[in-house]
Amino acid sequence: MPPLTEAGGGGAVTPLSMLRRSAAHRVVAPLLVVVSVLMIILGKVDQVMFESVRISVTDYAAPFLDMVSRPFMVIDQFAERVEAMVDLYQDNLRLTEENRRLLHWQQAALALADENRELRDLLKLVPDASRSFVSARVIASSGGAYLRNLMVNAGSDSGVERGQAAVVGEGLIGRVYEVGVRAARILLITDLNSRVPVIVERSRQRAILAGDNSQSPSLWYLDPAAPVKIGDRIVTSGEGGIFPPGLPVGVVGQVESGIPRVQPYAPLAQVEYVRIVDYGLADGLPMPLAVPHISPRAAPRAAKTSRH
Amino acid sequence: MGTRRALATSPIGARAACLLPVATTLVAALLSLEPIPLPGYAVLTPAFALMAVYHWTVYRPDLLPPIALFGIGIGYDLLCGGPPGVTPLLLLLSRAAVLRARRWFVNRTFAFVWAGFAVLTVAAIFALWALECLLGWQLLSANGSIFRAALTIALFPIASFMLGRTQHALIGPG
Repeated sequence: MPPLTEAGGGGAVTPLSMLRRSAAHRVVAPLLVVVSVLMIILGKVDQVMFESVRISVTDYAAPFLDMVSRPFMVIDQFAERVEAMVDLYQDNLRLTEENRRLLHWQQAALALADENRELRDLLKLVPDASRSFVSARVIASSGGAYLRNLMVNAGSDSGVERGQAAVVGEGLIGRVYEVGVRAARILLITDLNSRVPVIVERSRQRAILAGDNSQSPSLWYLDPAAPVKIGDRIVTSGEGGIFPPGLPVGVVGQVESGIPRVQPYAPLAQVEYVRIVDYGLADGLPMPLAVPHISPRAAPRAAKTSRH
Repeated sequence: MGTRRALATSPIGARAACLLPVATTLVAALLSLEPIPLPGYAVLTPAFALMAVYHWTVYRPDLLPPIALFGIGIGYDLLCGGPPGVTPLLLLLSRAAVLRARRWFVNRTFAFVWAGFAVLTVAAIFALWALECLLGWQLLSANGSIFRAALTIALFPIASFMLGRTQHALIGPG
């Protein structure tokens, strides 16, 4: 015979009275609500407080998340393969045409590379610092409407450092902002907290690419006298010492009430692998805001970054 | 009552089966972290954990203690990079709200249960939006949230069916 429920019927539920057996039950839930609220407030006041906990939890969870995300990747690869087979003929036509155009560009690029090398020799230009990169797989993303970040399965043991740029074939996707031993988190350029110094390639106008959680971040602080055009290429300016200059970011897609919005080159929603590139600039990213007397770590970092 | 299976009748099996609500809620929370490469999915990721919390709070609230919700919520916040405390707060408040209104859903048709979930989802996602606006001290666009709530509500019958089947198979109805 099933226990009778509060609703009076016999059946599929447990009586609520069982929950009230102990007084502890009444206290625990409200107490935990209070603890949650306190954590939110503390986390807001001192952003560094939870960072080390977050990094170690991420590290422990990374192998598990890595394992769990694999079946999804296999399904996706299968879907891609089916799609590719369906579009075989059209793709072939398009690629043949593209190949013809690219061969033309290759000739142009070779000629320019030669000319560039000669001019560099003439100017005795100091070459850019060498770049190294790590390829990593995306193992978790931040679901929901208010965060745009990705977790990848490479951390400090693979040489990933805070502040390094995350790129895919098409262009910049974001920067590394939390690093564990086995995993790191990348803040995408679409996140509300992302600000990237950029330049409009055609007009050499400087601006800040500001994320707002939508799919197309907006351009701030543009000179109103020289408006951008739809289709203008946006690349990093290299200011602030976080990204190297000239990394492709996207094109101006639309202008909404006077504010241009940039369509990123990289398909941010479908990124599976990222390249984390060390341009030797990683010192440029300041640590998160912290109350100075609580977090002694913030001070030396701040001094270090002020050189840039 | 004939649905209890061998697993639930052996003492160890029964005890293990009682972990099912916590385990499924944990799996639901992890599912929200999966980077499923569909355009727009990141914004619309359904609130899977909310589905599990609602289901278990209606049918077996004794097996989903608040401390488990707190732990799962904190773990989720830490893994998704959000402000710690937001998810446990929402899950605990959802649980409290459902416990209060539980008498309306128990032994009713699925339409009632679904309607209850719809109300809870809208309230929870609105609360999340309000909280994020407050924490960021700016008015954020609610468009993504509206679609997210709609997708969460639309997927609830599937989740409820799956959770109901596992519940009947492993724990028995009550």
